[in-house]
Order: sequence, then structure tokens, then C-alpha cells
Amino acid sequence: MRRRSPLLWAAALCAYAFLYVPLAIVVVYSFNDSRLNAEWVGFTLDWYRKLAADDEMLAAAGNSLAIGLVASLVSTVLGTMAGVAMHRYRLRLLPILIVAPIAIPEILMGVSLLIFFVLLNFTLGLVSVALAHIAFCIGFVAIVVRARLAGMDETLTEAARDCGATPWKAFRHVTLPLIMPGVVAGALMAFTLSIDDFVITFFTAGAGTVTLPLQIYSMIKISVTPEVNAVSTLLMLLTLLLIVIAAKLSPSLLRSERET
Amino acid sequence: MPIRALAAVFAAALALAAPAQAKDELHLYNWNNYIAPETVKRFEEFCKCDVVQTYYSDNEELLAKLAAGAKGYDVLVPTSNAVQALIRGGQLKPLDKTALPNIRNVDPAYLNTPFDPGNQYSVPYAMSTTIIGYNDAKIKELGLPTDTWAVIFDPKYLEKVKGRVTVLDSANELFAAALKYLGYSANDVDPKHWDEAAAVIKKAKPYWAAFNASSYIKELTVGNIWLVHGYSNDIFQANQDAQAAGRKFHILQGVPKEGAVLAVDNMVIHKSAPRPDLALRFINFMLDGRNSAELTNLIGSGNPNKDAMSYIKPELTRLPAVFPPPALQAKLEQLKDLTVAQRRLRNKLWTEIKASK
Repeated sequence: MRRRSPLLWAAALCAYAFLYVPLAIVVVYSFNDSRLNAEWVGFTLDWYRKLAADDEMLAAAGNSLAIGLVASLVSTVLGTMAGVAMHRYRLRLLPILIVAPIAIPEILMGVSLLIFFVLLNFTLGLVSVALAHIAFCIGFVAIVVRARLAGMDETLTEAARDCGATPWKAFRHVTLPLIMPGVVAGALMAFTLSIDDFVITFFTAGAGTVTLPLQIYSMIKISVTPEVNAVSTLLMLLTLLLIVIAAKLSPSLLRSERET
Repeated sequence: MPIRALAAVFAAALALAAPAQAKDELHLYNWNNYIAPETVKRFEEFCKCDVVQTYYSDNEELLAKLAAGAKGYDVLVPTSNAVQALIRGGQLKPLDKTALPNIRNVDPAYLNTPFDPGNQYSVPYAMSTTIIGYNDAKIKELGLPTDTWAVIFDPKYLEKVKGRVTVLDSANELFAAALKYLGYSANDVDPKHWDEAAAVIKKAKPYWAAFNASSYIKELTVGNIWLVHGYSNDIFQANQDAQAAGRKFHILQGVPKEGAVLAVDNMVIHKSAPRPDLALRFINFMLDGRNSAELTNLIGSGNPNKDAMSYIKPELTRLPAVFPPPALQAKLEQLKDLTVAQRRLRNKLWTEIKASK
């Protein structure tokens, strides 16, 4: 293996530090024995105990997870379909329709969705939030899937068709496995986008529907306690777990093409 | 097939998250940490219902959401100027006063304001003032006054505490303080007076550490910042944190003799409230002195309820921000909404202030 220059190492180290030091601080302070995130006082598990007893925070986390799972599952299916359609049929209008929700400012989308739900007399609640999240996640999944399709060898599908596979079979057994890393990446992205969305969720959530970002944001006014660090730490662990699972399911997802 | 499976997952996940609705529910749209947990519990026992709270962190958030047509909330707790906006937008249900006998507990000074003449739609809930907060050890050592806005705006004092002062990152609050310092009303809209206020702010700005609206509580507690223009509840919170952390100083409240901004939050009923009956019972319940006192004991909020006095911790009743004495009451002003043209001018001045060196 070629030796890499120390400069490259230093740059990489700085980049990683920039990415992970803030997260590490959040985790460390979740064990801090002080209400303030200001200085280290001593080790404690109090904030986790408080969190375990805080029904509101746990309900908010539960809502966020449920919405995230539903939104990522549904938008992955619809987004993959959209990605394939964009790749195969080269329609002019479709890409615009799919990318628009990504490009539209969140606040506009939030208000529009709220007005839309009110117009339909749709009761605001978890379902309306999930629907809104699906709406803005589809575009992201579609784009990731389409990028993956663009790098795929088209002749493989054609070969399958030549050998007598129906279009569905060719898709199911040839195309889908090949684009799986893109699909999984899209699903993960949708999940992350959904779980930390504030603006759209704020507008589409109904009375009594609280998600984690809404809960944390409303606490800012009275200063955030390390309980928020504790819940963030648990969420980070969960996200890490999801990435590990995704990597297990689709090993090529986290590796470069050449190594696989 | 996969679609049906997905639909099942969808339904299951949402069913898990949404508890079955069997009991009576009161939907309260409130600021976070703005009602004591024991009060909620007592009301739930009293009305045999559940209180479901949703939170907002800004009046504008509440107004935007309701203006777009959101429904399902019974009681809201907006600040007076937002009450006025809600009334104008036809968003509120008039209060049936016969169901609110406890309204007699409210100090008349906070009733029948220009924001809602005759209290047709709103009753005061709790309040805060925008005053001076300071580190007692440091300010005593430096020999600075704490009863005048001069300490925030006059370079004569500021040079002793350079870099240890923060002011609120809010054009309306800071202009109000500067106008009061100059001897004008906080609601003064004369552009000439605004220019004077902007000049005062610009002259003081180099001495300030930051425009800060959220982390100054922490900075005060740690001892990095010694003097702030901030909300009375926050300053109270900072002192509680400082004592809990065993600091050698206190964070005290200084009420400027020139007067200050008062923000009163009010209970109102939304026009599409699913349970206006429960909403009225809740409002009357919260006007009871004991229930009202619990919030003040929790967060040090100002209390417009005379009956609450005897239930509030003695060290709190002494704070002028909790029960402003009549002489001070006369100098406190609630901020009125600006017209579009006025807001544009203020934004322009604010941008110039932010950009100035």
C-alpha cells in the first residue's frame, strides 16, 4: 500500500474532529451532574433516570420513531418507483414534480400542507405528520435511486429479458439487487430527514402530537437540560445501530465500488 | 402484497404511538414549562379528564399555525399583543364570565387593558418583565448602579464591565429599553425618538459581549457575564441554577427606575375548541390563588393574581418582578404591535445597528 502523506492524515483528522467532537460533547455532557451544559461537575446517570420517568419526552421520542419508520418505508417504496420511472422513461415533467418538494422552502411546504389538510377537514395528528414526511422524503429517495441506476449496466436487464424473464422478474431479480445500496441509502436518508424535521412537522402536527424536535425546541426558551443530551445520545446509538444493520444487509453500501 | 404489508406496518406503528382516546381531554397549547406538574395533576383529578399539552416557543409560531387553520386546541396562552391579533383574526371565543367567578382574584391593574377591553376574550395568566439581571458580587465590587437603564447604555458605566454585558437579541425589547432610558414611552413611535434610541444603542454596542436571547441564563450562572438586559423569569432561573451549583454569588434582579416592558400571558379559548366547557373550568381553576401560585414558585413568573400572594414562597413575594408594587406598575408598559411601515423602519434601524462596528 502506498504511504499517504502526513498532511492528508492531518486533514482527515481535522475533518473527523469537526464532524464528531460536537457529538462527543453532547454524549459526555449527558453524564454531567449539573443542570447546565457549561462545565464538568461529576459523573451521574440522573439524566437517564429522569428521562426514563419523563413520559412526555418518551412519548415524543416514540412518535418520532414511529413516524420515521413509516415515512422511510413508504417513501422508499414510492421513491424507488419514481427513481426507476425517471431513469427508464425520461419523462420531462416527472423529474420536476419529484425534485420540487426538495427545492421548495420547508416553511412554504409546511404551511401549504397545513392549509391542504384543513381544507380536506383532515384531523391533524400523527397520520398528517407521517403523510407530510412521506411527501418530502420521496424526492430524496428517488434521486439517490436514480443516481444508482445511472451507473448500472443496462445490458444486464436486457439479458434477463432475453432469457425470458417478465419485466417484473427482471426488475425483482436483476435491477433491484443491483440498486439495493441506493435504495437502502435512500431509506436511511428518509429516516434521518423525518426524525429531525422541525418546520414541516410543526405545521402539520395536531393538538397533543409532539415529536422529539418539537419537544426539544419548545424547551429552548427555558434552557435545555442534559435530559436532552441523554435522549440525543440514545437516538445516536439507535442511528448507529441502523447503519450497522444496513451495512450488514447490503455490504457494498458502506464500501467503495472497487473493493467489492 | 408488499403494499398490503406496508399498510399493516403503517397502521401498526401509528396505532402504537397514538393511545386510545377514551377519557375527556383538555387540549392546552402552552409555553413549555409554563404550568406546574402538580397543578396539572390536581386539575385532572378535579375534572376527571386528561390535560394534553402541546408547546410553542414563540407567539408568532402560535399565530401562524392558527392562521393557517389548525384546530383541536381548547386553551391557548398568548401574550397580550398576540391576543389582540387573535381577536382581530376572529380566532377566539368570548368568555362566559358567569363560569369564571375567580376572576375577582385578579389585580384590576391587569384587567381591561387596550389589548382586550373588558376582558371579553382573555384573562391574565402570568407575566414577566424585561429588566436588569446582575452578578451581585461583581457589580458591588465595581460599584455600579442596578436601578437604571444607564448601566446598560451609558459608556461611563459600561467601560467598567466591557465584554461582560449581554442584551436581548430582540429589536422590540432593546428599542423599548433604550426609549425608556431616554424618558420616552416604550410604545413611542416617533421616528425621531427611534433615531435617538438607535444612536444610544450604537454607542453602547462596542461594550456589549453579545446580543443574546437564550444562553445568557447559563453565562450568568457560570459567571462569564455579569450584567444583562433580560427577562425576569430567566434571571430568576439563573439565580436558582447558580445556587444549585454552589456559586459564591447571586444573580439578582434590578428594576430600572425609568420603567420597563411588561409581558402578560393570557388564557383564551380558541373558537373551534372541542371542549369549551372544560376550557372554562380550567381557566377558572387557574385563577384560583393556590394554582396560580404554583407556577410562580416553579419559575419565578410575575403573578397578576392577588389571591396567589399567600401561597407564594416568601423570598419570591419580595421580588418586584413577581408582584410589582403600584408605583412600579405605573411605569411598566406592555408592547403594542407595530404597523407594517413602523416595523419596516425598525427593521432597517436594527440592521444598521447589527452591522455597525
